[in-house]
Amino acid sequence: MSGPNGQVVVASGVTRRYGEGEAAVDALCGISTGFERGRFTAIMGPSGSGKSTLMHILAGLDRPTTGTVTLDGEEITGLDDAALTRLRRDKLGFVFQFFNLLPVLTAEENLVLPLSIAGRRPDREWLEQLIHTVGLADRRTHRPSELSGGQQQRVAVARALVSKPAVVFADEPTGNLDSKASEDVLRLLRQAVDEFGQTVIMVSHDPSAAAHADRLITLRDGAIVHDAVPGSADDVIELMKQID
Amino acid sequence: MTRLAVKSLWARRVRALTTTLAVVIGVAFVAGTYILTDTTFAAFDEIFSESLSKTDVVITARDEVEQETGEVPSFSATLLPKVRQVPGVRIAAGAIGTPGGFFDAENEAIGTPFAPKFITSVLPPALEAQTYVEGHRPRNRTEVSIDEGAAESADLELGETIKLASVERATPYRLVGLTRLGEATFGGASIAGLILPEAQRITDKRGEFDQISIAADEGVAEQTLRDRVQRIAPSSVLVETAAENAARNSDQIRDNLGFLRIALLIFAFVALFVGAFLIFNTFSITVAQRVSEFGMLRTLGAARRQILSSVVVEALAIGILGAAIGLAGGYAIALGLNGLFVAIGIDLPTTGLVTKTRTIVVAVLIGIGVTLVSSFVPALRSTRVPPIAAMQAIELPRSRRRGIVYATLAVLLGAAGMGLLLLGLFGSAEGGTAAGLMGAGAVAVILGVSLFSPRLVRPLASMAGRPLELLRRLIGRLARENTQRNPARTAVTAAALMIGLAVVAFVTVFAAGIKSSIASAVDDNFQGDLVIQNSDGFSPISPRTAEAAARVPGVELVSTLRSAKAKLLNGDGGEPRVSALDPNADEVLTIDWSEGGPSVLRRLTDREVILDKGFAEGNGFELGDRVRLLTQIGARPDLRVVGEFEDRADLLGSAIITQPLIARAFDQSDDTIDFVNLAPGADSQQVQDRIDRLLDRDFPIAAVRNQQELKENQEGQVNQLLGLIYALLALAVIVSLFGIANTLALSIHERTRELGMLRAIGMSRRQVRTMIRYEAVITALIGALLGMALGVVFAALIAQPLEDEGFALSYPVGILLLMLVFAALAGVVAAIAPARRASRLDVLDALHYE
Repeated sequence: MSGPNGQVVVASGVTRRYGEGEAAVDALCGISTGFERGRFTAIMGPSGSGKSTLMHILAGLDRPTTGTVTLDGEEITGLDDAALTRLRRDKLGFVFQFFNLLPVLTAEENLVLPLSIAGRRPDREWLEQLIHTVGLADRRTHRPSELSGGQQQRVAVARALVSKPAVVFADEPTGNLDSKASEDVLRLLRQAVDEFGQTVIMVSHDPSAAAHADRLITLRDGAIVHDAVPGSADDVIELMKQID
Repeated sequence: MTRLAVKSLWARRVRALTTTLAVVIGVAFVAGTYILTDTTFAAFDEIFSESLSKTDVVITARDEVEQETGEVPSFSATLLPKVRQVPGVRIAAGAIGTPGGFFDAENEAIGTPFAPKFITSVLPPALEAQTYVEGHRPRNRTEVSIDEGAAESADLELGETIKLASVERATPYRLVGLTRLGEATFGGASIAGLILPEAQRITDKRGEFDQISIAADEGVAEQTLRDRVQRIAPSSVLVETAAENAARNSDQIRDNLGFLRIALLIFAFVALFVGAFLIFNTFSITVAQRVSEFGMLRTLGAARRQILSSVVVEALAIGILGAAIGLAGGYAIALGLNGLFVAIGIDLPTTGLVTKTRTIVVAVLIGIGVTLVSSFVPALRSTRVPPIAAMQAIELPRSRRRGIVYATLAVLLGAAGMGLLLLGLFGSAEGGTAAGLMGAGAVAVILGVSLFSPRLVRPLASMAGRPLELLRRLIGRLARENTQRNPARTAVTAAALMIGLAVVAFVTVFAAGIKSSIASAVDDNFQGDLVIQNSDGFSPISPRTAEAAARVPGVELVSTLRSAKAKLLNGDGGEPRVSALDPNADEVLTIDWSEGGPSVLRRLTDREVILDKGFAEGNGFELGDRVRLLTQIGARPDLRVVGEFEDRADLLGSAIITQPLIARAFDQSDDTIDFVNLAPGADSQQVQDRIDRLLDRDFPIAAVRNQQELKENQEGQVNQLLGLIYALLALAVIVSLFGIANTLALSIHERTRELGMLRAIGMSRRQVRTMIRYEAVITALIGALLGMALGVVFAALIAQPLEDEGFALSYPVGILLLMLVFAALAGVVAAIAPARRASRLDVLDALHYE
């Protein structure tokens, strides 16, 4: 299942260029790195550093200009739309900044949406465990409009976990939450890694978010400038200052 | 602000175009109707005036009561020598112009079935308006000329034989000349020319003329000559100048075909009505989507009035564009409508397409008017956007009270509409007014239901969505929920389709009622084995047909029915149709006697009449009362009521008189229908074949039918009309499909990020397409269910007062179900483009869409 050295996602020589000729912008200039299974990685960097682009490419939402991405042993850079759709459905989980729940479905229905799309029945036990983990046992029939932002994002995290994907990508998952709700969501992601052995890759510009991760990759101008175990939130703030 | 309106319109040009299309189709329909009918009338004007181009004064029989068959009486030829003596008459000639039938060598009818074919006599060259484009005028009894249009359509050449049929047996003639009259084409109508004595013989008008044409001496004014001729002419004839005669004929055609214009305008109105819904909906949605833009403009200092005018200017631009394209499209519609008519056998004369200033004015006013009116409410809403909307996403204020106001308004409108409908149906208003009341009532009911329908969207969507949810659980569920998300929007979208389908369902149910009524009338009334009638099902046939059929072996008796319209001089007036039956009619017809019986009919004298019960009651006639009539030829029979019958099939009209009386006082000796009874033991099919062969040879206008064929023939005519109506309604349905597509496109636009998320978590393109398609199907089904319910209710209501006349409603469940399937398929078609777009969204772009 895993790639070399137990790495579930491997990027090698990934570049991404937007536009052509004079106006061309290099968002990523040669990124090579791997992500180990069962780890929580945070990607940080100032605006325009390429952190979002990197995540999109790792998740198969965008294609690199050069270089390759291998996901769970499968080279994804050349896949067509149908294969990518299947890949996202079966092997990836997503958490977005704007919770992106379907307003017409209940919390529980939103939670199992990836399985419903795939036409699979959820494993009852796993589902109950998830619902209790995210603390929404008494809210399962509520619609998103009846939930707070934090609760909505916790449903979104559970939705990303429900199909037991190879990797969960979280794109600024706390960008729209207050600090209390942010803390809950981050603890949840941490729990997913520690208790369920989930792999999580998160893009964030929130230093306290990065402090929850096992590994912090820092990007600047499309290149990795720092890759280490993050310290406390204050350490991360200090690091970001240096990079800027 | 105008610049902004134009620019924002341009930025959303695809949507603006589909919105414009809604205006275009309605306007084109209106313009096309005017263009077509103006053209037809112009063609008739041309034919009437051209045919008298060398004539100054015309004598025709005075036509006191216009007949349904359009036949006019003839008059005695003895008038001609007296006319020739009148000073100032350079030349005068009598002529024949009588409807007949033309057939080629293979016995195939020439021309289309419902267009008139005239057997005429050729005039002396000094009076003849037709020119011979090929060959020469008929010179003896065996020669005939025909108009080049008919010759062309039937592929006839000089020297060939054609058969003419009228009162006398069909006679073959050699084609020696092809004629042309002015610039107009006759459509499916046709004119054949014979020499006068032969024309008089075949039409059984020996010693009679249909017309005398007179040319004046040099220097004698038409009016002067008319007055001189008038002095020597009997009161039974009408003396007119050529211009007067042409104008009278033109007016008559306008009267007779006026219904066509009105009927077409009604269908155009339906399309416009549907278009108005589409415009309203599109503007509502775009205003809702532009809330933050309007808020931004307000923070920059734009006044409410400026916001309003920017939306109104947009509407105005769409209206003007729609009117302009619609006017141009009117020509296509005019040609299309004409093609449609030709396809069902109504081939009207044509000339170059006529565009009157009125057509342009009406088209422009309607295009702009409809757009402005239907965009007014959304435009007003745009002014209520507060500046804060620029900063944060807000919903437009939608007070709770509004819902209640709308519901109350809906109920009031519905009730008022129902009231108008019932008033029109059962009130004392006559013809046009009653129809107007009913139409206005129906419109009000439809508006009421549309206003109320947001409340019906939830349950109806659940109902319509159920099968889809069973088919595709999640996708069906999502599609259904999406249609329920904004009930008002779904309701208005569905309402557009509802209108079209209400009319379709109404017409379908009504037509089914007519068909089943025909069938039961034939079953109840006809004892006879076979009937002979004109192959078109309603025009008269020669009385010689019955005489010849009576001699066919196996035929026991033939009983004839003749009919004519008269004016009622006492009672409540009106123009009742009277029938004349053979005394033996009770052997072929079941008459439902309410006063008297078969013996009354056998002993009926020329001074007596038997009345239809409803007619007698309506005019207050009782047994022994006198009924005074005015006939087409000006006779005034005064008849005593001796019996009453009930006539559910309206076969016999309002009154029964004797055949000698109808011949003498009404100058009617043609048969409407002949009933044939077979001798005991005769083989029905064998006898029918024999009569068939006889008719083919001698009376090709007529056809023999058994009861089953009679029903089928009548039903076929109803079906043909139904087909025409469906085709005319298709435009309105197409407009509503644009509406569904438009709403879908707009709601996909709103849901971009949501669609991006669904794609990101693994929904395939195909699943996205299916979901959008189902949304369209559910919306279409909501419209169809509402529309069909309305249509059925309307049909049931309107059938109420007709029930006394033997009209029984029947519900064609199968066809109605089929309509639901069609509506669902229409939804699939409407969803093609939006579904494609939704499935092609780039996941990444969609996710970051603001």
